[in-house]
Amino acid sequence: MNGGRILVIATLFMLAYSMMATATDHIIFGQYLRVNEGIEINYDIKIEVVEVKEATVDSAKFRISSYMLPEKTYTVFKGDTPLKYETRDGISIYIEVISVQGKTVFFEVKGPDEWRVSNYYEFEPEEAETEAVTVPKLEIARTLDISSVQQGQTVKVTLKIKNDGNGTAKEINLDEPTIKGTYKEGCPATLDDIAAGATERVSYDLKIVDAEPGTYELTPTLLNYKSESGASYSSESSSSVLVIAAKAVSVPKLEIKITIESGDDVMICGERFPATIRIDNIGNATTGRVTTKSRLPDDLRVVDGEIDPVYESIKPGDYEEYEVMLIAYEPGKHIIEMDVLWADDEASTSAEFWAERSGFDKYYIYILAAIPILLLLLWLIKRRREYSF
Amino acid sequence: MLNILILGLGQCGNRVLDAVNREAFGSGGTFAKYYSRQKFPASVKTIAVNTAINDLKGLTDTLARDRFHVPHLHGVGANRTLGKKVFEDNKEQIMSEIDKRGSFELIFLITSAAGGSGSSFAPLLVKELKKAYNAQIICIMVLPFREEGSIFMQNTAFCIRELVEERPNGILLVDNQYLKKYAGDIKSAYDKINTTVARRVLFMIEALNSEMLMVTDLGDLKTVMNGGIGIGTMGYYEATKDGTIKSAILGSFKPSGLLFPANVYDEGARAMLIIKGDKKYLDLDLITKTVEELSTEVGQVFKGVLVKKGRPKVLSLFTLNSVPELEKLYATAANAIRFEMDKREQSKKQLDDAFAHIDELEPIY
Repeated sequence: MNGGRILVIATLFMLAYSMMATATDHIIFGQYLRVNEGIEINYDIKIEVVEVKEATVDSAKFRISSYMLPEKTYTVFKGDTPLKYETRDGISIYIEVISVQGKTVFFEVKGPDEWRVSNYYEFEPEEAETEAVTVPKLEIARTLDISSVQQGQTVKVTLKIKNDGNGTAKEINLDEPTIKGTYKEGCPATLDDIAAGATERVSYDLKIVDAEPGTYELTPTLLNYKSESGASYSSESSSSVLVIAAKAVSVPKLEIKITIESGDDVMICGERFPATIRIDNIGNATTGRVTTKSRLPDDLRVVDGEIDPVYESIKPGDYEEYEVMLIAYEPGKHIIEMDVLWADDEASTSAEFWAERSGFDKYYIYILAAIPILLLLLWLIKRRREYSF
Repeated sequence: MLNILILGLGQCGNRVLDAVNREAFGSGGTFAKYYSRQKFPASVKTIAVNTAINDLKGLTDTLARDRFHVPHLHGVGANRTLGKKVFEDNKEQIMSEIDKRGSFELIFLITSAAGGSGSSFAPLLVKELKKAYNAQIICIMVLPFREEGSIFMQNTAFCIRELVEERPNGILLVDNQYLKKYAGDIKSAYDKINTTVARRVLFMIEALNSEMLMVTDLGDLKTVMNGGIGIGTMGYYEATKDGTIKSAILGSFKPSGLLFPANVYDEGARAMLIIKGDKKYLDLDLITKTVEELSTEVGQVFKGVLVKKGRPKVLSLFTLNSVPELEKLYATAANAIRFEMDKREQSKKQLDDAFAHIDELEPIY
């Protein structure tokens, strides 16, 4: 019973094998084709040589299409099992690369007996099908937190690195320029891989040790890196300018200013007018005791306010301001001189103005003279009217 | 203090009044009124009354409020009949204007006898003043130049008569014809006459209102003015350097010092002498003796002596028993009126004769 089954199975196997052997034994094509050449089999199946590659294992890339089936690209390696391609009707053909030489491949196509090569043709090379080539592209931007620095201070340098490519950047080496007399603290020489689209920030402190004062140009930061494929690339930032100043000495410095509030600096004798005195600390340290001393013309009197105040201190950037009311009694040019004294230093200023007699003062003699004349005239008019009929 | 009213009627009266006001300023000249006040020797009020507004405007030293215009166009044109009517129409306003100035003991009424407004107003105003005030009314009447015209002569004649009929306390005559000797031209003569009259009036007022060494007063004035026919005039004399007080008194009786031509010694009824001067010149015995001598010739002579600095000045005031010059004036006036009447009749007859040529004729066209 078992012997019968085995016989049946063997028979069927043999039958199937014989049928397959029949179908694939027929060599439909067996020649050389160059890249960008193709054949058409049985007016249906198109086989085009897209690429030929000589390598450890030679191979050729074929683009195959047939009725109602989209074209597909297949890579067939020399010595490998023939590529089976099945049409929509279920009929298969087999493609085997025999040899490869330059841009030429010798391959065989086997299939049904009645099938023949119905056409040979060349085709325009398509855009090389982009292979998923991954290329990293690093963009680097360098920023300094301050562009002007004094000796002894530290500049924080930030490097912003962005991978604008489509591949990971590997083996990244950072080459940062150096200024003599400075020290880079925490500046890495290499960076970790940066994936495509990723951004990395690297910061370090640039300590100004004993660099000579001056303006320095920081040459660009240089990045050397490789792609996943091992290709080498490099990027650089733009250059930066750093001004290094000598270490500032903290000293207070006062400036004094007198403002006389008048449109044309002309005052009227005997009339009060304000004068504003302002003391600014334009230094970078707080002063000690500040005293003021005024020198006024003999006929100028302070009628309101203290013109020589004393201040315990004035902070840098701060100021003291006060107003006094003055009266000038004589006409002419007047000069107000003021000194401000602090520590071992002092500053002076002066302001000048003209004083003029008031209109009444100028003309009161004439007015006095005119009054009796006017009264007399009025009297005469009155008397004349009394006698006018 | 004596309350005195001086009324100046018409153009002549206005100008004499203006001269009184000017003289009251003293010796300050034209501009005295601008810085000085009038110094009347009594409480004197003045009013210039006129129908002619231009005459009032022409006054220079009379206060505007002391000028009263009686509204009648520009004067009455020397027509006394019209003047009387205007006075009657306006006498209430005139009397009201006078009444504003209070009460008076003495009223001087200065007017021309010849003009329109003054000569027609004067008699009527005297009548009204006598009704309203218990005051002496002395009229100073200015007579015209004889050659001024028949209308002025007839006005003078009728004015004096009417005025005498109203019986004021006295009429003092001022004769332009007689006084034109003062200056060569009429204008200067008028000014001189006006000033002379003004000074004498003020002299008299000063005497009547002052304490005197020998007293004469308003009562004496009244008695003097009641003498004779109630018409008189004034004389004046200022003693020379070497002259005596007697010569000064007698000088004031001389025709050359009178305002109206008269022979005082023959025609005088009563007189008043007002003597003013430094005490050293005022020999009272001599004055008394001289006055007594005059009294024998003139009649009653009142005397007043006023002590003031300066050489003696004598003002004499007379009333007359007869006025021959006035009679001459009336004769002249009558002749003028008759001449005027004849002339008018002749003219009328001539016109009637002319018209007779066309009697019983009709115009033919």
